[in-house]
Amino acid sequence: MHLGSRVRAVALATAGVLIVACGTSTSTSEAKASPDKQILRVNDGTEPNSYDPGQETYTYEAAVGRNVFEPLLTPKSDLSDVQPAAASSYDVSSDGLTYTFHIRTNAKWSDGQPLTGQDFVYGWQRLLNPALAAGYVDPFFDQSVAGGQNYSNVDPTDTAAVDSFIQGLGLSAPDDHTFKVQLQHPAAYFKWVATLWVGAPIRKDIVEKAAGGSFPSTDATKAEMWAQSKDTVIGNGPYKISEIVSKDHVTLVPNSNYWGGSGTLQQIILYFIADGNTAFSKYQTGALDQINVPIADVTVVRGDSTLSKQAHLLPELTVFWMTYNTKRAPLDNPDVRMAFSKAIDRDKLVNDVEHGTDKAIESFFPRGMNGYDDSDKAQSFDPTAAKALLQKAGVTADQLNKLKLLTRNSTGNKTLNQFIVDQWNTNLGLNMQTDIIDSKTVTRNIRKGDFDIYGPDGWGADYPDQQDWADIFTSTSCHGLNFGCPTLAGYDDLVQKADTETDQAQRNKDYAAAQKILIDQAAVGFIFQQYEYDIWKPYVHLVQSPFDDEYLPGDQNYHSGYILQH
Amino acid sequence: MAVIAGRPTRGALLPPWLVAFSGTRGGSLAIFVARRVLWMIPVLFFVICITFVLMHLAPGSPWDKNGGRQLSQSVVNNLNIKYGLNKPLGVQFLYYLWNVAHFDFGLSYQYEGQTVYGLIASGLPYTATLGILAFLVIVPVGIGLGVLAALRQNSRVDYATMGFATVAASFPNFVVGALMVVLFSVLMYKWTGGSFYLPSADFGLDQHLIMPVITLALLPIAYTARLTRASTLEVIRQDFVRTAWAKGLSERLVVIKHILKNSLIPVVTTLGPTFAFLVTGSVITETIFNIPGIGRAFVTSIESYDYPMILGTTILFAFVIAVCNLVVDILYVFIDPRVRLT
Repeated sequence: MHLGSRVRAVALATAGVLIVACGTSTSTSEAKASPDKQILRVNDGTEPNSYDPGQETYTYEAAVGRNVFEPLLTPKSDLSDVQPAAASSYDVSSDGLTYTFHIRTNAKWSDGQPLTGQDFVYGWQRLLNPALAAGYVDPFFDQSVAGGQNYSNVDPTDTAAVDSFIQGLGLSAPDDHTFKVQLQHPAAYFKWVATLWVGAPIRKDIVEKAAGGSFPSTDATKAEMWAQSKDTVIGNGPYKISEIVSKDHVTLVPNSNYWGGSGTLQQIILYFIADGNTAFSKYQTGALDQINVPIADVTVVRGDSTLSKQAHLLPELTVFWMTYNTKRAPLDNPDVRMAFSKAIDRDKLVNDVEHGTDKAIESFFPRGMNGYDDSDKAQSFDPTAAKALLQKAGVTADQLNKLKLLTRNSTGNKTLNQFIVDQWNTNLGLNMQTDIIDSKTVTRNIRKGDFDIYGPDGWGADYPDQQDWADIFTSTSCHGLNFGCPTLAGYDDLVQKADTETDQAQRNKDYAAAQKILIDQAAVGFIFQQYEYDIWKPYVHLVQSPFDDEYLPGDQNYHSGYILQH
Repeated sequence: MAVIAGRPTRGALLPPWLVAFSGTRGGSLAIFVARRVLWMIPVLFFVICITFVLMHLAPGSPWDKNGGRQLSQSVVNNLNIKYGLNKPLGVQFLYYLWNVAHFDFGLSYQYEGQTVYGLIASGLPYTATLGILAFLVIVPVGIGLGVLAALRQNSRVDYATMGFATVAASFPNFVVGALMVVLFSVLMYKWTGGSFYLPSADFGLDQHLIMPVITLALLPIAYTARLTRASTLEVIRQDFVRTAWAKGLSERLVVIKHILKNSLIPVVTTLGPTFAFLVTGSVITETIFNIPGIGRAFVTSIESYDYPMILGTTILFAFVIAVCNLVVDILYVFIDPRVRLT
């Protein structure tokens, strides 16, 4: 998942436990409010760039996309596996190369039309159409859908080339209730890819009607006309859009044609309030039911007798780390990298800088996800050992003082990185500096490998499978996602084996070994796992979504949410 | 940003049939306006040139994310082709000019499939409503306070007014806005149990407007009041005012007809740009009160390198400022007897 300047998401505290948020009372005897009071007002933060689920790349977009469209599968509450959504079941061929999804026979679009396998074929073909340049398409072409490997070689202005690429993809609908996907190689994690909101079905007739007739596959403007109006954004999800007020809010109302029945919440109003303090004042004046607490107001909430009872700390499947440019001496030496990693007091960091709203972590896979294992303490805070490592590496303070910590020019990043540099200076006897420059330039520099140390770098899960994480540090993603480009003996092989393996126990073992390499070689210095500090009114009842890709607590489960009498 | 086009000498660049027409007062005003309107074209062209060059000089591309996972190179290549960014800059510039000449401002990069024209048209009414309301507060209050202070110079009224103006001018509007929200929304809501308070954000044609308008108006009021006071004090000491008093005219007549008409000239000069900035939006006010106007849209477009949106809003701002300056120049004709168009 893209970590924007701020990614807020939700995951499960500990795997297997469902968080039920009932505010102060968990008793089920409390009555639901009358239908006219079943209105949930939340802050989505930013206006979605598009209401076409295929074009949605950020969590604040997925918050709408996931409710208006329904993919084939969704994650189970405990993240242990997937569960049926638009597809009632799926089969995997014995060679692991063919996935057959059985579409629910009673699944309908919000205009009453039946949902068909062909709608998924069309939706996925659109997603993979290079001319539409969907931002979040990678999980669908990169090592997954057969034919997708050619994505980068298609000229998006050549209609014939695009058509032949799209038609050549391993996507088919043998009948109205079946959607079949051929893969490039066996991929046990593909079921998770099928839970992504971008893999939603799309109705060809609606798209073409909004465009005023059929159009060539290279026409990106006509292809998106349907997504501009609430009347043509027809979805198959539990909710539909009833109102779009640009830059202000979008309102969702139940889709009465949804196979699972109409939700109790009669209106979900998602406001686009960029300023956290503005959202906080709206919450305090009763105009919002649920918000993310701005870091500056955490102490205010904790000190307030009412607000503190409405506060909830929710883990996210998001981990941050410090990236060392291993192509630059002396950071090519694992001992030097380990010394830096061992010289950061992570607990002090999360308490002093983050008001204790995040949690220290010294491993790769986050808490709450399959593969979490914090038994390897190689990167634990230990200034004495860190100094010894530097001695062993034979580097001088002068050499190290020349290294700069590349920092994005935002308050949060500056505070965090200043703290980390102070830690290194204090604990390793150095005199290092941060290098603060504008965010776009930082992005350009890290992609070119033009930096010494960069942070906070990080990852938020697309889906709770280790493959989504382990692929980051393979040598093929050097300068893509893997900015430090460490040389890690055996890592690529382990990950490739685990990615194509179908036995889950073996996969877990291989990924665990891969994680150990990352930690022990100090490929990066793991720092903390992000948690989300939210407040919501006691009358809001939402089953917390287990998954991190949600922008708001419970936004994947609005269908089962309700407002209590108050 | 003030764009004041030069004023060529009489008859220059005019076709013969217009020179004859330029004799009358109404005629010369019309020619003056027409000439100034035509001047806007090179001015806007210049604005587009500078913005275009600066925008592309800034490091990074619209597809670089502000952190974390970046789009894969193949997606970036496809996006560049989709939005024509793979063409040479010169070609892109000519394309843009050609489209602008046809009033086509392009598609936004940030908002998939939405036109810049549509995005601006949806935000402008909010921003303009706030701006015009603030202006309607600023003019009477600012000028009124300034004249009052000048007429009662060194009295308590003067000290109080100027004290207020100094305080108002030294408080940044994000402080004023945030303080008002805490006081009139959050605390008021708490104290009255939710029965009486001002809504802390959002737009509506009611009490929603009170705090944003005050936030917007406070600084210009202070500025206008101080300027009016200073220029009124200067006029009060002029001979023609003494003559007016000596003639035994009533205070009202002296103030309105003799003092104000002259003392307002510098004030009108500044009110033009003030109005332009008000109706083109205040980022801070729009952010604090969550108003879906174009001031905020402009800043977001800069942050995300939404080139067409940056250009579109810049052209709009330049146009509004040029128009306001033109209006000010026309107003001079009516309030300043020394100004002649020809």
